[in-house]
Amino acid sequence: MGDSSSATFRDRLLSREEVIAWFDSRRRSLGITAGPALVWLVLLLAAPLTFMVSVSFVNVNESYQIVWQPTLANYEALFAGGGPLFQRAFVQSLVLSYAIAAVTTILCLVLAFPLAYLLARKGGRTFKVVIFLVLLPFFTMYLVRAYSWYLMFGPSGVINATLLKFGIVNEPLAMFSYGVTAIIVGLTHAYFPYMLLSLYASLDGLDYSLVEASRDLGASRTETLRDVILPLTLPGIISGSLFVFVPSLGAFVTPRFLGQGKVLMIGQLIKDRIGSLYAVGYGSAASMFIVVSIVIAFAVAFRYVSIEDLGGI
Amino acid sequence: MSGNPSDSPRTKSHQSRRAFLAATGAAGLTAAAGCIGGGGSTPTINILTWEEYANEDIKSRIEEEVGVTLEITKSTSSSNMFSSWNAGQYQQYDIAIPNNNYVPKMMDTEKDGEPMIAPVDEEAVSNFDAMYDVFQGFADSQFTANGNRYGVPIRFGWYGYSYDSRSVPDHEDSYKALFDENYVDADLSGKIVMYDNHFKAMSAAALYLGHGDAFEGSRVTLSQDQIDEVKQTLIDQKPNLQGYIAADPTYIKSLKQGNFVIGQSGRNEIVEMWSNDNDWPSMATPKEGSLAWFESAVVSSASENKTKSWEVINEYISAKNGATLAKTGFSPSVNPNTQEQLTDEQNEMYGAVDPSRLEQMIPFKAVENEDAWITAWEEVKSA
Repeated sequence: MGDSSSATFRDRLLSREEVIAWFDSRRRSLGITAGPALVWLVLLLAAPLTFMVSVSFVNVNESYQIVWQPTLANYEALFAGGGPLFQRAFVQSLVLSYAIAAVTTILCLVLAFPLAYLLARKGGRTFKVVIFLVLLPFFTMYLVRAYSWYLMFGPSGVINATLLKFGIVNEPLAMFSYGVTAIIVGLTHAYFPYMLLSLYASLDGLDYSLVEASRDLGASRTETLRDVILPLTLPGIISGSLFVFVPSLGAFVTPRFLGQGKVLMIGQLIKDRIGSLYAVGYGSAASMFIVVSIVIAFAVAFRYVSIEDLGGI
Repeated sequence: MSGNPSDSPRTKSHQSRRAFLAATGAAGLTAAAGCIGGGGSTPTINILTWEEYANEDIKSRIEEEVGVTLEITKSTSSSNMFSSWNAGQYQQYDIAIPNNNYVPKMMDTEKDGEPMIAPVDEEAVSNFDAMYDVFQGFADSQFTANGNRYGVPIRFGWYGYSYDSRSVPDHEDSYKALFDENYVDADLSGKIVMYDNHFKAMSAAALYLGHGDAFEGSRVTLSQDQIDEVKQTLIDQKPNLQGYIAADPTYIKSLKQGNFVIGQSGRNEIVEMWSNDNDWPSMATPKEGSLAWFESAVVSSASENKTKSWEVINEYISAKNGATLAKTGFSPSVNPNTQEQLTDEQNEMYGAVDPSRLEQMIPFKAVENEDAWITAWEEVKSA
């Protein structure tokens, strides 16, 4: 009895060759390698997103329970209120969020591009030191960095206090108070490395003989930048811009610290609605505008560059 | 020896493996029995509340007195407590202690057709009768439905405004100091702060505008016209603001840094500054009325230890623990017997409150048409 069961067990065991042959199937190997990641994506990305889309089309009743009956009420509520459309809180908040994210992205690009170019051209020890110095602040917690900007800005912040101390101004400058400027500075600082590293990866792969050829053929520096360098580094520019624009659009901590409540970005608007009223339907509908705009941004990006190019190599 | 099969290394290995498995199994079963049965083990009460409630002295005293282990999660806002419980955490926590205006919302909340919070176990909360009458009355008027009470007040405070007396001259206490540029003989432009909270900021504006009667019922009832008037007042005020302050600790830091000189505030922030030898902040109690908050404990209907939970809450309003809580948060307990545990100076600052003063205050209340309030507040913030 014991012998026969051992034999059955042994029969069930696969030899090494059989295991290799089993994995040799393209479908099975794909399932084993990509399967876990796919499950992860479905559980943590697709399922919550589907739930959010669903909730944006249902209501929450007076007992704060979701009523699973389709409605467009949440989308109507986003634009409810008196006066012209552009004066509605949601519209203003959305437009402001786009504007802040766009300016942040442009600033990151403008600031990071020359540095990335220098790093790509110089390389070696200089590169390592500069990259280390740029990344050093990012080893600290994001909240700490946001709080450090909080101390820099404000009527009595470090910037205004310094200007006053040296007699450069007679009273604190409003531009260094909390608000949109402070938020943009904070976000630019927060997301600068993403742009820098994306641009560096792209510029590092650039064939600089083309730049030299352009100059030899009489193109000015500006023309070389416009007609040679920028087109060839477009994938890095696009990937860096996406990495900066997307999180800036939904920023929450930075505006909370550096806006001092006088600026209402879309993330804060959604959080306040859900916190006070448990308006998850309204919050989901508002979030859809962010999700859809990001999908559009990616679609536009992929129209010009492939996903391999977005890696900057 | 080698001829005895039972002494072979292989058999020894089998024996030790069996012994190990048996021992592990027994240990596992014992542990499982402990988990499942729970008999004789100390129950754990999970609490979602403010930082001061996690004071080690209070915690250890309550654990010893009630025979429980307290797991306290700190929260920084009542709205977070409300939304997280709504999102399902009422199953994870036994107790939450939000501001009183969130208790009616929690009473309204149903989960699977049942109320989210449980009625008070009156026998377990034996210190209830020791409370100031006014708080017993608030509990009856705000937290009672269908003959059941659902919340127990713990500690309280009130909002007015405070100012740096070195920069702002003395004046009659009135919200005009925040909204009327000519009321105080000082340039306050860009040096005012308000709370970053629709209820607190809009209520102050409503009281400034003379809409005090809207606060008289069980809920605050501003009409749409009044809400629009409040909204416009706050929009007009905005250019003079340094900002909207989100949390109480931020207020103290920012006032000390000189970022503003006058702002809507709770009395406890100023008492904390007085306690730290800062004598220059002044607290104003506006003649139009002060808004009084009182934190109130609720117990989840999903709690498996409801009676123990109410016993824990009862301990938070005992004379000794209430006094420690008052010292920790610079806010008085709802139990006047706590005064016996405090020094004269402590009583003067936060321990003893004249009951007649409490009668004049406007308690936080749930809002009748909160959707309209939020919409107006968003328009103020984005203006």
